[in-house]
Amino acid sequence: MAAFAVFRLPEVLHHRAGFDHSKQPLISRRTLKSSVTSCCMRNQQTTSQNYYDLLEISVDSNHREIKESYRKLQKKYHPDIAGQEGHEHTILLNKAYNVLTNDDLRKDYDASIGHVRVAFKGDELNMGYSSWNGPFRPQALFVDEKACIGCRECVHNASKTFVMDETIGCARVGVQFGDDDNSIEVAVESCPLDCIHWVEREDLAVLEYLNTPRRKQGHGVFEQGWEKPENVFMAAKTWQKHLKQQQAESQKRSVRSDVEEETEAQAQARESASFKLKMERFSGLWEWMKKGSLK
Amino acid sequence: MSEEVGYTVASDSDTTREETSPEIAIGIDIGTCQCSLAVWNGSQVDLIRNTRNQKLMKSYVTFRNESPSPVGGVSNQLSHEYEMLSGASIFNMKRLIGRLDTDPIVSQASKTLPFLIQTLGVGVKPFIAALVNNMWRSTTPEEVVAIYLVEMKALAEARLKRPVRDVVLTVPAAFSRLQLTRIARSCAMAGLHVLRLMPEPAAVALLYAQQQLPKNMGDSGSERVGLIFNMGAGYCDVAIIATAGGVSQMKALAGSSIGGEDLLQNMMHWLVPEMDSLFSGRGLDEIKSMGILRVATQDAIHKLSFQPTVEIDIDLGNGTKICRVVNVEEFEEINKGVFEKCGSLIQQCLHDSKVANVDYIDDVILVGGCTNIPKLKNIVTGICNKSEVYSGINPMEAAVRGAALEGALASGVNDSFGSLDLLTIQVNAHRLGIRADGNGFVPIIDRNTTLPARREMVFTTAHENQTEALIVVYEEGDDEKLLLLGYFKVVGIPAAPRGVPEISVCMDIDASNMLRVMAGVVMPGSGTRNPVVPLMEVRMPTADDGHGLCAEALSRSFGSTLDLVTLHNKL
Repeated sequence: MAAFAVFRLPEVLHHRAGFDHSKQPLISRRTLKSSVTSCCMRNQQTTSQNYYDLLEISVDSNHREIKESYRKLQKKYHPDIAGQEGHEHTILLNKAYNVLTNDDLRKDYDASIGHVRVAFKGDELNMGYSSWNGPFRPQALFVDEKACIGCRECVHNASKTFVMDETIGCARVGVQFGDDDNSIEVAVESCPLDCIHWVEREDLAVLEYLNTPRRKQGHGVFEQGWEKPENVFMAAKTWQKHLKQQQAESQKRSVRSDVEEETEAQAQARESASFKLKMERFSGLWEWMKKGSLK
Repeated sequence: MSEEVGYTVASDSDTTREETSPEIAIGIDIGTCQCSLAVWNGSQVDLIRNTRNQKLMKSYVTFRNESPSPVGGVSNQLSHEYEMLSGASIFNMKRLIGRLDTDPIVSQASKTLPFLIQTLGVGVKPFIAALVNNMWRSTTPEEVVAIYLVEMKALAEARLKRPVRDVVLTVPAAFSRLQLTRIARSCAMAGLHVLRLMPEPAAVALLYAQQQLPKNMGDSGSERVGLIFNMGAGYCDVAIIATAGGVSQMKALAGSSIGGEDLLQNMMHWLVPEMDSLFSGRGLDEIKSMGILRVATQDAIHKLSFQPTVEIDIDLGNGTKICRVVNVEEFEEINKGVFEKCGSLIQQCLHDSKVANVDYIDDVILVGGCTNIPKLKNIVTGICNKSEVYSGINPMEAAVRGAALEGALASGVNDSFGSLDLLTIQVNAHRLGIRADGNGFVPIIDRNTTLPARREMVFTTAHENQTEALIVVYEEGDDEKLLLLGYFKVVGIPAAPRGVPEISVCMDIDASNMLRVMAGVVMPGSGTRNPVVPLMEVRMPTADDGHGLCAEALSRSFGSTLDLVTLHNKL
C-alpha cells in the first residue's frame, strides 16, 4: 500500500506542476491557459447548457456535423492538450456526443429538453424557436410567416429582435424583446401587412411550432413536399383544444381508476422525475468535489 | 519554437529551469521480446539507437556474479544468443508482470523458460530467479523491468545529452489495471515519471492520424477508418479507429494475451512432446538443451514466414536428437487455436465498433513482429475484405513512434508546421463494475467507453437497518474473468428499512487512464445537496499481490451483511 501511494502521488503533483510550468515561454501553454479558464467557466453553466450548445451545433445537425464539431472541441479541451483541467469538460463532451450520435438516445434527449416533437404544456416556455431577452412577459411577438412578404422593415427597425430567414424569405422573431420597447413598437407598426402579432406567452410555442414548414404525408407522387397551416392561429386553437381534450381524458381515466392511488405509469413517471432530480444532485456533488480537488 | 535541449545542471535552480523549454517526454515501447525508444526532435520522431547501433533492443536482463548492476540487452554485448538462455537472463517479463501463480500463462511459462519461475498455485505472486554461479538468485518481474528501464534511461540520456524523466509507455490493450500498476511501479523504481500508459493501438492510431493529416491547410480532410491489428511476442490487440483532421477517434478496442510466445510454445511441444517432463529437473544440462530447442524453434518459425519448409536438426544432449522438416501447413495446424483466437478478436472488435460493413474500412494496419506470418496477414485481410495492407507504417516501429508523438503532445510541445496538431481519443478496454445484487457483477463503465469518462449508478441496502456497505470493485478481463481491483466500506448510512438509503457509486477515468471510485450516501427526501456522510474517493487499484485471496477473505469476514442492491442506472 505504501509503495502504491508513493508511485501515484507524483501524478497529481505533476498535473499541478504542469500548470505552474505554463509560465514558460511557450505559446501552446499560454493559449492553453486561457482556454482552460474559459472551460472552467463553461462548467459552471452546464446545468443550463444543453448538449447542442455544448457541442456548438444546432438542434437539426446531422451526424457528420456533430462529429466534426465534437472533434474540433476535443482538440481544444482534451486533457492531452488542455491538461487535467480539461477533464470535466471533456467528460461532458463525451456524454453529449454519445447521446446525440445514438438515434434512440437523441430522440429521448430531444424530448427531455422540449425540442419540437414534444406535447406542449401550458407553462413551459423555452421550447419554441425564439429565445427570451430578460424576464418572461405575459405577451410575446409572433410573425405570421404565411402573410410576411419579406420586406425587412421589422429587421431594420429592431434588428436584435427580428431575424430574416433567408431560405424561405420571411422574417421571424429571434429574440423576444431583444430591443427596447420603443424600437419594437416602431417595427410592429412598420409592417406593411400587419403580420407581426402580440400573442399570449402560453400560445407562443405552439404557434412557432406550427409556423415551421414540415413534410407533408404524401400519397403516391402527389401532394408531397412542405406544408404550413393555412391559418396558423386557427391551427393553434385546434391543437390546443385537442391537447386539452387529451389531458381531460387522461385525468378522467386516472380519477376513475382510483382517486387515492396513481396509475402505474404515473408512478413511474413521478419516480423517474424524482430520480432525475436526485441524479442531478449527485452530479452536482461530483462536480463540486472535483472543483475542490483541483484547487 | 526551438527545440534546443540544454543541459540541466545541478546548480540550475527552479526559476531558471522554468525559462528553458519543457522536457519532452520520450516514448518507450517495452515489448515482450524487443524494446525501442523514440523522441520528438522538434520536427519529427527519432528512434534512439543503442551502442550496437540497433533501433530494436532485445528485452532481457542478465544477472552476473554478485554485481549489483545486472545488465541487459540495451548496452551490453551479448556474446551468443545461447547466453540469454543460460538461466542467468530473465526475459518475457511483460508476459509475467502482474500475474498470479494460478494464471495458466505463468504456469506455462514456468515449464518453457530457462530461468526459474516457481508457482505454488495459491494465488500469489510467482517467485522468479536467475541462475548466477550455479545458484538461483531471486528477483521479481517489476525489478527486472525496472533494471531494464534504468538501462534504457541511461542510453536515452547519453544520446539526448539531457536528463530524461518523463516517459510515455505503450502497453497491450489486454493489460489489467493491476498490470498497469506494476509497469508504472517499475518506472518509478527506475526514476521515470509516467505521463501516459497508452494502449499500443492508440499509439499507432496517433501515428496514422499524423500521416493522414491534410496536406493543405484549412481542408479538414475526409474521414478514414482504419483497423489496427497488433501482434507481438506476448499480446495481441485490435482496434478500429476513425481519423479526420489529425484527430483519431477509437471506436473499439480489444486485446488478448496471445502472441508469438504461444506459437513458440506450441511448436516446441509439438517437436518434443515430452519436453515438460524432460526439463522438469532444471539442471544445467536441461537448461542448455531447453535453450537449444528454443533458439531452433524460433528460427524455424521466422523462416516459415518466407519459405514453405524448414529443416530442424538439433541435438538436445542426453540422447535426444531432433531432425525433421516442418512445412507451413503443419505450422498452421499446430497453432490453429491461436489463429482462430486472433480471428475472433477481430470479429468482436468489428462488432463492437458498430461499423456496419467491413467495406467502410479504408486501411488495414498491421503492427508487431507476428504480422510477418503470412497466415495472420491472410486472416486480417480476409476478414476486412482487402487485398492490400496499409504500407505507410513500419510494423516494428509504429508503436514507439506513436508513443513519442504522445510524449510531445503531453509535454505541451507545439509544432509550427502543424504536424503535432494531433489527438487520439481513446476508449476503455475493460468493463468495470462493483459487486451487487447478491454475488453478481454490476458493470458501471462498459467496454469501449470514450475516455475520459464518468458513470454513476445508485445502489441501496440489502438488509434492514444496514449502516455499512462494502464496495468491491472489479475489472472484467479476458474471457469475462473478474479481477478484484479494490474495496472500501461506506459507513454511517442512517438506519432505515432496506431499499431506502441511496448509495451512489461513481466511477471516473481520466485521460491518463486513472480510475477513481467515489461513493456517497443520500437519504431520499432529505432534499439537500449535502450527503449524509462525507463522500469517499478511492483510487483504484488498491488491491495488490494476492488480490484473489482478498475476495475470499472479504466474503469470509462479512458474508452478505454489507451487500448492495441496484436501484437505478444513469447513462
